[in-house]
Order: sequence, then C-alpha cells, then structure tokens
Amino acid sequence: MSVSYRPESLDELLSLMSEKDLIPFAGGTDLMVQNAGVDGPDFSKDVVFLAHLKELKEIKREGNNLIIGSAATLSDIENHDDVPELLKKAVSEIAAPALRNRGTMGGNICNASPAGDSIPPLYVLDASFRLLSCKGERVLKAEGFFKGPGKTDRQKDEILKDVIVPLKEWNIRKYRKVGTRAANALTKCSITAAAKTKNGIIDDLSIAFGAVGPVIIRDKNIENKLIGLSVHDVKGKIDSIISDYSTVIVPIDDQRSTAVYRKKVCLNLLREFLKEHFSREM
Amino acid sequence: MNTISTPVRRLDAVEKTAGFTKYIADMDFGDFLYGKLFRSTRARARICTVKKPSLPDGYYIIDKNDVPGENAIHMINSDWPVFADEFVRFIGDSIALVVGPDKKIISKILSEIEVEYEDIPAVYTIDDSLALKGGVLHGKDNCYGDYTTVKGDPESAFSEAAQIYENTYETGLQEHIYMETQGVVGLWQDGKVNIHGSLQCPFYVRHSVTPVLGVEEDGVRIIQAPTGGAFGGKEHYPDILTTALAVAVNKLKKNIKIFYEREEDIVNTVKRHPSRIKIRTALDIDGNITAMDVDSIIDGGAYESCSCIVLQRVVFHATGVYDIPNVKCRGRAVVTNNVPSDAFRGFGAPQASFAIESHMNHLAEKTGVGSLDFKARYFQKKGSVTNTNGEIHEEVKLKEMVAKAKAMSDYDRKVKEYGKSSSKGIGFSLFNHGGAFTGNGEKEIINARIKVRKLKDNRVEIYVSNVEMGQGLLTTFSKIAAHTLEIPIENIIFMQQDTELVPDSGPTVASRSILIVGTLVGKASAKLKKQWVDGEEITVWQEYEAPKDVIPWNQETLQGDAYPAYSWGVNVVEVEFDKITCEIKIIGAWNVYDVGVPIDRLVVEGQIEGGLVQGLGWAYLEKMEIREGRIQQRTMADYVIPTSLDVPVMENDFVLNPYEESAFGAKGAGEIVHNGGAPAFLEAVQMSTGTQFNSIPLTPEKIMESLK
Amino acid sequence: MKQKINFTLNGKSVSVETDPLKRLIDLLRDDLSMISVKEGCGEGECGACSVLLNNEIVNSCLIPVGTIIGASIETVEGIRESESGKRIIDAFAVEGAVQCGYCTPGMMVGAEWILRKYDKPTPDEIRVALSGNLCRCTGYDMIINAVETAAKRGLK
Repeated sequence: MSVSYRPESLDELLSLMSEKDLIPFAGGTDLMVQNAGVDGPDFSKDVVFLAHLKELKEIKREGNNLIIGSAATLSDIENHDDVPELLKKAVSEIAAPALRNRGTMGGNICNASPAGDSIPPLYVLDASFRLLSCKGERVLKAEGFFKGPGKTDRQKDEILKDVIVPLKEWNIRKYRKVGTRAANALTKCSITAAAKTKNGIIDDLSIAFGAVGPVIIRDKNIENKLIGLSVHDVKGKIDSIISDYSTVIVPIDDQRSTAVYRKKVCLNLLREFLKEHFSREM
Repeated sequence: MNTISTPVRRLDAVEKTAGFTKYIADMDFGDFLYGKLFRSTRARARICTVKKPSLPDGYYIIDKNDVPGENAIHMINSDWPVFADEFVRFIGDSIALVVGPDKKIISKILSEIEVEYEDIPAVYTIDDSLALKGGVLHGKDNCYGDYTTVKGDPESAFSEAAQIYENTYETGLQEHIYMETQGVVGLWQDGKVNIHGSLQCPFYVRHSVTPVLGVEEDGVRIIQAPTGGAFGGKEHYPDILTTALAVAVNKLKKNIKIFYEREEDIVNTVKRHPSRIKIRTALDIDGNITAMDVDSIIDGGAYESCSCIVLQRVVFHATGVYDIPNVKCRGRAVVTNNVPSDAFRGFGAPQASFAIESHMNHLAEKTGVGSLDFKARYFQKKGSVTNTNGEIHEEVKLKEMVAKAKAMSDYDRKVKEYGKSSSKGIGFSLFNHGGAFTGNGEKEIINARIKVRKLKDNRVEIYVSNVEMGQGLLTTFSKIAAHTLEIPIENIIFMQQDTELVPDSGPTVASRSILIVGTLVGKASAKLKKQWVDGEEITVWQEYEAPKDVIPWNQETLQGDAYPAYSWGVNVVEVEFDKITCEIKIIGAWNVYDVGVPIDRLVVEGQIEGGLVQGLGWAYLEKMEIREGRIQQRTMADYVIPTSLDVPVMENDFVLNPYEESAFGAKGAGEIVHNGGAPAFLEAVQMSTGTQFNSIPLTPEKIMESLK
Repeated sequence: MKQKINFTLNGKSVSVETDPLKRLIDLLRDDLSMISVKEGCGEGECGACSVLLNNEIVNSCLIPVGTIIGASIETVEGIRESESGKRIIDAFAVEGAVQCGYCTPGMMVGAEWILRKYDKPTPDEIRVALSGNLCRCTGYDMIINAVETAAKRGLK
C-alpha cells in the first residue's frame, strides 16, 4: 500500500525527494491511468503531491523568457496571454477540457511519451528545463533532458521546477497534430515549425516532429541547410530537405497507426509548410 | 395540431439528467460479494489441468463442477458452455468464477490459478476456417449456417450476360461501447436465485439460466435495471454472466455482483460480425442489371450465439432496396477462434447494405450513369417480389424520400461540383430494414403477450417484457396507451420488467418493439377504452396475431415474406478530403426516413442521429484488429468512437407511410438508422479522392495506401 | 494509511478519514452517495464521471482525494438545485438530449461549466467544451441544442 505525501512548501518537497524514492504527482492524468489497480490506483512507490504548491504553478515573464511552472495546468497555459502561440495551440489540442484542467505541462514532459504533445513546441522554441533538488538546480536543453520513451534525465531526488521558454519573434508558425479522431485523441504524428525571415532571408528555422521516434525529432543540421538562404532559393531544395528528414523520422506500427502512414504524413506536412512559406517569389 | 408524432418530454429525461436514476451499479443490495471471471489466455486449446491455489476464508472458485444442471447456455443453440469444459475456443473464454469480498484478493487468486493448456492450431480468418485449419471446429464444415435463396433464374441470366462485374466488400468488427458496461447482480432471496441486471431481454436470461440450474421457469426471477445503452450487446451476452452468476449464487446462497471494467468489457464481450461479401452482377448490352449473385460470409467467432439469425438478415437484405429480376444469395457464418460475434444494431443489414450500395455505385460508375439515377431504375415498389419470393406489401416512398433528401442537402449541385479536384464528396445511400423476427418467428418462437391493467384510481399500468434502453420505449409505449385511451400520459405507469410480474412479449431486439409489441399495447388499450369504468380495476390481455395478407414463410426453404413490413431510409453524407493527411472531415449529413408514422418525432430523430453517428464511427473511426486471437485496441483511448467534434450537424425529415397493422401506423426504427451511414460515407470519400474503396473501417492509413 | 480530507461538496463542508490515494469517484459514489457520478471507463476518456472542482470540469476517476483538500466539489446532486441546473434539466428534456441517460449527468456538469464561463456560447464553443464527454446514443446534436437552449433561457 503506497503512502502519499503533501508537502506544505517547495523546501519540504525537495527534502522529501532527497530522503525517499517518490513519484512526483502533479495532475496525475497519466499516472492514474498507468497505475490503475483493481480497487483504486496501485502505485509501485510512494507518491508526493505537488500541484498545490504556488511556486510551481506560476507563469511569468523574466526578461525575454517566459517561465512556466511545472505544475501549471494545461488550461492555465492555454489561456495565458504570454504563452507563445505554437505552445498554446499544441496544448489546446491535448486530450479534452477536463484533462487539461488537471494535467500539467510538467507531467506531460516528465512522462516523456513520444506522443507527448507539449514537447515538440518546446524543442522548436529552444526551451530549457530546470531541475531542482536539495543539491541545487540544473538547467538542461531538450536534447539533454529527453532520453527515450518514458525516460528523462531527471534524477530521483529532483523535480522539474519550471520550463524556460525564450520569447523569440517568429513570423512564421505551423502546428498540426494528426490524431486518432478530431478531439480527445492520441497523436499519430505532429509537426511543429517556426521560422523568422527578414528581408527575404531565413534568419532562423526550427522544425520538430512528434510521435514518430523514441523522442521528438529535431535535426539542427538539416535546419542549417536552409538558414541563411533567401526565401525563393528554398524551392529548389525542398526535395532534398524532405529526403533528409525521411532518414531521421523513424515511426513504428502500433494499435493507433502505421509507420508508413506516420512518415508519409510528416513529410507531406513538411512539404506543405515549405511550399506555403518559402517557395513563392518575393 | 397535436398528433401522436408531436414530441413530448421523455418520461425519464428529468430523473436521468438530474442524476436520480439508479443503474445497476448504483443500487444497494445489502451485503454482497464480488465475482470476477477467470478466462482462457489461449485462442484454441485443450485444458489439461487446472491448479487452484488454496483459498482464504470467504473466497470461492466456481467452475463446471458446480453446475447443477446443464453446462450449456441456451441461446439459439447451446454450444457456448457456462464454464469451459475440455476445450477453450477464444482468448477470454470463461473457465471459472472467483468470488469473494475484496477485489484485490480476488485479483490475486485469479493470477494464481494455473492452467496447463495443449495448444491447437487456431483459426483466425474466414479462409482458415473454410480450410478447416487445426481440424474442424463446428459441424462438418465449420459453418454455423449456410443458406441459399434463389429468385428467378440467375444461372441463365449469367450465361446470357453481355458483361459481368464482380467485386468484394469487407466490413470490420465493431464494439458496442454502451456507456454503461455490463453489470449483473445475483441475490439469494425467497429460496431461489434472483438476478438484477442491465439487460435487453430478461426472459432470454431466464431461458438460459433455468436449464443451467436445472429448475423450472419459476425457479429464478430476473429483474431489469435501467440500462445505460445496449445496441445488441446486452441481448445475449448477459447470458454468459448470469449463468455463471446463477451457479455461484445457487451454490453459496450469497449475493454476488459481477460488474465489468471497461477494458474487460471491450476485450471479452461480443462484437458485430465482420463480413466479406462478393457480388457478381450480370448486365445486358444496354447496361441493365439482369442478375445478381451475392455470396456473403460472416465471421461468427468462437461460439454460435445468434450468428445464424444475423446471417439470415445478411442474406435477406443482400440486394437492399432493389428489385433485381434474377438473384442468387448465399450466406455462410463461419466459426473462428476470435471473440464471438453476436447482435449489434442492424444485425447483418449494415453489412449487406454496405456491400450492395457500394456495388450499385460501382456499377453506375462502370456504366457511365450517375449513381442515384442508376439505382432509381431498380427501386422496389409495392408488389415487388423479394429475394425470398415474398412481396413488398406496402407503398414504397423512396422517390419522395430521395427528392426530399436532395433538396435538404443541395445534392444535385454538389454532385456536379464535387470531385477529386475539389477534394469534396457527397454520398447517397438507400436502405431498408425488415421489422420484427423473420418470417413466422413472431408467432412460432415468441408469440408475444402483454397486459394492461386499469387501477381503481384510473391510472393504467403497462406490462411488457420489452425494456427502455435509451431508445425511448418507456415514452413511446406510454404515448400509444395514453393516446388510445385519451388520458394524460402522466396516468400511464410503465411497469418494471420483472419476469414474475410481466408476461413475455419477447426480447427488445429486431426493431420489433413498436411494430409488434406497441401494436399489442395499442390494441389492449383500445379494448380497455371500450370496457372502461371509472373507479374499477380492469385487466386486458392481448396476444400477438400474425398479419393476414402475407405470403406464408417456410423456414426450411427460406421462402415467403421474410418480414411483414419494412422501414425505409435515405442518408446523404458530405465530406472533405485532406490530401496531406488523408483524413476525412464529415461536414454534413441529411437523413430522411419512412418509419410508417413516428410515435414521437424527437424520439425517432434521436435514434436517427445516434444511429448515423454510430454507423459513421463503424465506417471510419472504429478500428478493431485481432492478432493471433488478441484484440489490439483494448481501451477507449485506442478504440475510438466519435466525439462531439467528429460529427456534423444533422438534418432529418420523415415521409409518412402508415402501416395498417400497427398502432398509429408505426414501424421499426431502432436498427435501420445504422444501415446507411457507412455506404453514404464511402461514396462521398470515393468522390473526394477519385478512388474506389471496398472495405471499412476506411481509415486515413487505408486511404493513403490505396492512393499510392 | 488514512488521512483527514476536508473539502466542500455541493456547498457543504465535508470531512472524511480515508486513504488519500482513493479515487474521488469512489469517495463520491461509495462513501458520500453521489451516484450521479458514473464510471464509464476509469481512464479519463469518457467524461461520465465529470464533476466541477473549483468551478472547472474534471474527471473524478483520475483524482486522488489527497489532492482536493480545501477544494469545492460540485456534482449534479448540487447543480440540480440551482436555477441554472433546473434550466439545464428542462432544456435537456425539451430538446431530446437524453436517451439511455448514462452520459447525461456528465453532460449536465459540462453544461453548467460552459454556462458559468459563457453567457452565449456558440454551438462550436459548446462542442469543444463537451469534446471530452462521450455519448453513444444521441450523436450529440440534441445535446448541443440543449445547452444552447439553456443558455438562451438564462439570459432573461
């Protein structure tokens, strides 16, 4: 029988985390399903509730960054004016209202499902993940944080305190999730893309694909092939870019969809994005 | 002017919305134990040994050795055992029932029961079944049923054909996903087993439980609890639970509850029959149909349940609403080691309708004619001979229905404008559904009886065995009585379906409730009105009378009038195709129905809309795959049904066509509403993609594959 | 391991001694007789277990009671007593939005949630708001109509 803890403060939480091996429990919308037992939930370890801690729920600007507390609910994020559009859109399509009112981005992140929908925008926006323990804090980029399906670099005594999202000026944005149905759906694949163009030159470009690999697929090498190009030079490169992404998108067959479909749709979405924004004469 | 069709507030709407209605899981039965089934993990095997763990006090394992009567569930046949004897035939087959007070300990016991199996090569496909893989499973040829009907002379017509066109159509599994999962409670009361449950057919449960206990009809009592959706999934399936439950309650003399969790329900309960229907058509030199040969095979799964009756529907609806001069229809229901298939709204007609409508669309395309114009040449009429050499006795209003649907949906403009270049499509399906039990089944098998009882305070009670399961029966039966008696509907009391209280008016299935039993309620009410005396108690019984002007049915030869009357429907579905993701968005749906006279417009429209959405779900969202006998989509996260954002706004209308033999001219509506969504959807998708499809579920993955 | 959990239920203070990991749906149904809260799936997919938690719609099958300390929980048992609740019940009856009734209490919670947020919700807004409440009987149109009707009647 698992014990649950409800610390009164962030310090108390960190103390508990350093003393015991606990499951951090925010909204619980994944944990309660994964640990469903015969007569209520059946957790393998003890649990610590943290969604009530004010320090973890804040969403605030700090200079050119937006700091999103790990226990801010998906609804909080969906409705907050300062949250970047790409992240807002992705979050607004997760599950359904009742789940968004409880589920947190921290939970979505630490659950690290390859189909976690808040994660690709965080890759694209170059977000950083702040881990906190009694020993101090570590800030990791996405590539350093996500290790594989269900695996992150969070250590046993650490909690995810917040996510630091740079507030860049993108003038081109795209997010599309392809789910098993129109709402309340698990993701088959998704594209998140952002670009900044200035005077017809691609200043910055960031593209991520969700649910088509063990972690989110983002390849800066391929992006760099387009950064610095003039917008109408992209047209001639579209096929080779598609081909490049084709080698890094590695989906699987499962009960929701097929590898063939997921890959083709990702590449179609990418082509549509590139054609729409970059292949017109200026 | 208020007619019978004028909507009233459903009599149970307020209590249901306000949360007062108690379903089986909400009811307090005092002390009880939980029961959970121990199941086979093999699709096909011989049970060599079963090793039971030692049990703590108060826990029991009930199995075949505890059955006092027959270890066989009497449905149409009795091949499905209460507890597996020597063989198991599907993953999930019941082997034992573990009973006790704590769910966690029951779970532990379940995990400790050890079964030694000897695997036998299992049959997962229709072809493997017909090839008798692993040795014959059923009868001589693995067919639960093999029926053939012939009208005219198809053989000659085919030999003289200028062209022959053949295609095969396939439909997949469908799970009911009633919002309330299976639940039954057994009580030891008055020296016998009493069962309360979420059921469609209390008397079916009594019929299956009594031989298992070895008692007479009055040896058990079955009581209906308000039912949170059924769609055929609670027609026979509760027999599996109630027989095991009855054995346990009978042995232990304790109250026991069996409630299914959702995953257990999805993975172990009966499904819609998958189908493979090959249609071969002979055309003359002018492109007219001279003959059809329809060969249908359905996968009945591991036990027969009602596969033969479903098969009959598949065969009798094989050419849909079309009068084809020469027709041969053959149907087979085969056994496999997949989860058993059984009743699901439409009961074979959706499968047949999908095939014939798709085929007619393909023929139209092949002969260069618009699909509606092509189909209209063959519409059945009053007097048309059916495939079983019966007759359509009623006026057929298809032309009027088509005209209405076209106007509502702006069809003529859209069918010209839409197509591959616009990625939009519009599809049109026509279909019918024979009401009630086939042929003479209503008389020979059911012979329904009902009673109405006027109380001294002038309120009137209705006693029927048909249940309210969301289709509005409580309200519509009350309306029939109230309008006939010319008393306020508030004075009608719809009695609970308790086998000790109500007569057997037959099961709540086959679109028979209004058509057959509602008619009896109307007749009894009319009689009561004549005999009415204020302040006196009067009881009137009414027994089923077969309609007079029918061509007699021969169940051996399957000839004659298969059904006394048909309901008719037309669905129009509009879609948009997304080339990037191959997803389909359904942007409009229009429905026109002839259900005789709707007893309540709003009630029937509710059926129309719910039925269409369920039919569309089957067509493109509800994918259920079985691999090596194991269902792959096991939760509501993976077996997806439509949400509020997956469905279009729907528009409905009726064409009145009163049926003389029924109360107020009403015919059935409960199932026909599922017959048209899939073929209309398919035609629309074909138009929007410029590609032909022949199977459902038509997922984006399948569309993408076909477009390569 | 039992703990004292204090919260308000339909406006009244409640104090229970229970395992904080117990699901809210089980506490409501088994210990507090709130049978309007239905279990349809146990995995947060169907919305039949919907309740309001601090005015927001949530799935009670996914909430351990240890996380609702001090919160306000509302179920249909409470909502039905209010003017808004009565309007919703009436609208559902008039629009044909109730068939088997199993999803309906959850829909009522959803309706109340939307009407507290919007005076005049559009059909699209209603559909999005109810996208986590599944119905197998109605095809949704009549439920959407019912919420619209309840909203209109509440504007007087």
